[in-house]
Amino acid sequence: MDEALLRPEDAPPEIYDDTGRARFFADPGMELFIAVVMNLAQEVWVQEERLFTLEEAKGNPATDRDALAKAFINRVFEPLRGA
Amino acid sequence: MTVQLQHPMAAQATPGEIARGRFVSGIRSLILNDLAGDLRNAYDRRAEPKWRREHGRAPDTSREAHEALRGDPAFNVYSAMRVQAQKMVWAAVADGVSRESDRLAAEAARVADAPGTLALDPALEVPRNVSAIDVHLMPGSYTRGADSLEAGAVYDRGLAVFSMGLMGANLDDIGLSMAKYIALRYPDFAPQRILDTGCTIGHNTLPWKQAYPEAGVVAIDAAPGPLAYGSARAKMQGQAVEFRQMCADSLAYPNASFDMVWSSMFLHELSKKTRAAAFAEAFRVLRPGGLMLHMELPPNGAMDAYDGFYLDWDSYYNSEPFYKGYRDENPLELCLRAGFAADDFFQFVVPSIGIYGEQAIRDMVAADAVEAVGQATTGRLADGVMWFGFGAWKR
Repeated sequence: MDEALLRPEDAPPEIYDDTGRARFFADPGMELFIAVVMNLAQEVWVQEERLFTLEEAKGNPATDRDALAKAFINRVFEPLRGA
Repeated sequence: MTVQLQHPMAAQATPGEIARGRFVSGIRSLILNDLAGDLRNAYDRRAEPKWRREHGRAPDTSREAHEALRGDPAFNVYSAMRVQAQKMVWAAVADGVSRESDRLAAEAARVADAPGTLALDPALEVPRNVSAIDVHLMPGSYTRGADSLEAGAVYDRGLAVFSMGLMGANLDDIGLSMAKYIALRYPDFAPQRILDTGCTIGHNTLPWKQAYPEAGVVAIDAAPGPLAYGSARAKMQGQAVEFRQMCADSLAYPNASFDMVWSSMFLHELSKKTRAAAFAEAFRVLRPGGLMLHMELPPNGAMDAYDGFYLDWDSYYNSEPFYKGYRDENPLELCLRAGFAADDFFQFVVPSIGIYGEQAIRDMVAADAVEAVGQATTGRLADGVMWFGFGAWKR
């Protein structure tokens, strides 16, 4: 896809890097770091759900996974709150 | 929460895929509710006062609010996480769509003879606003997989993750809310022919067929794959709709051939020139007494600088290059330029029927009142969302 060719007319050029991707932090490694942390948290959550499944198979009551996911995300990303 | 689509092409996802989707919906909720609140606080506490000190006044436009916030830690965190979460939306569903491609084709084949039609146009050159960019960071955009079911399935399942349950079980909350409002507000309006322009997979087309079951409903889009998927999806829900590959700015229909021309979240994906042409075409194909109605993002002119910036964020960072240009336009002027009269123009904000219930829309109509544009819930896919709409009658 040819993203660099279609940008908002008034987009300041400095908000994108030389590959056309959006840039937010002075150190471009930070964008990558945040993406890795989010991917890693997702993988941990997948393992959490596998554990819930095993525990339920052993007779534990079913869990509200949406609510647990919300609590999990809130715990992991709490340091970012109020940035 | 991630919704479970209510039709046979819904994902038969693995436990891992379900968990990934749930996580993405959850992190998007954190970003679009909690971090969005932090962003607003940062604007009020740091960015706006700093701008005021430097310029002797508050930011006056969306662009200035954006400039004021660039570099703020809250903006950086919110933005970097939102971009990544958007990529994770599509990644969460891509494997399942690929794995299930044969089943999807079989499900579509099973309903091939059901009422409804699909007409693709191999000669139509898909416009660049559809094909040349990964619209809302969706890899391959709407043309992924050419005329296969792939793009439609990725869009349908991705939207289920993306919407966090705010667009309804079949992603049709916008159409349901708008159709209910129009049916209640204009009880004598009984369209016989309805045209949905830029329908994608027809998720917001079907509510009009449900609201006006006697009407012939036509749904067009430039991208063939989502149309093929949308046609099968409509048939699976028992809705006879005519899907045709066609561009909204070049309608292959005679003058005065529809009673209603509708679109949802479509105009902001068109260039200014194409958008104007689409309005002119809508006016042309409407019969006297017909209605043009669009659900869209509220215009910048109806919002303050910060709220305008908040919605314009997508234009810069979510691969929606025409989003801000559209929001900078005035809906009334768009209608006037197309030939509608000022007295026949109207705009409104309707409560999401899935969140607030049908009674909220009934109460709004009974009070002959509409919610004001500009509140933080209007157009924002977050808790308490309301939908902005505008339209005009052709005399």
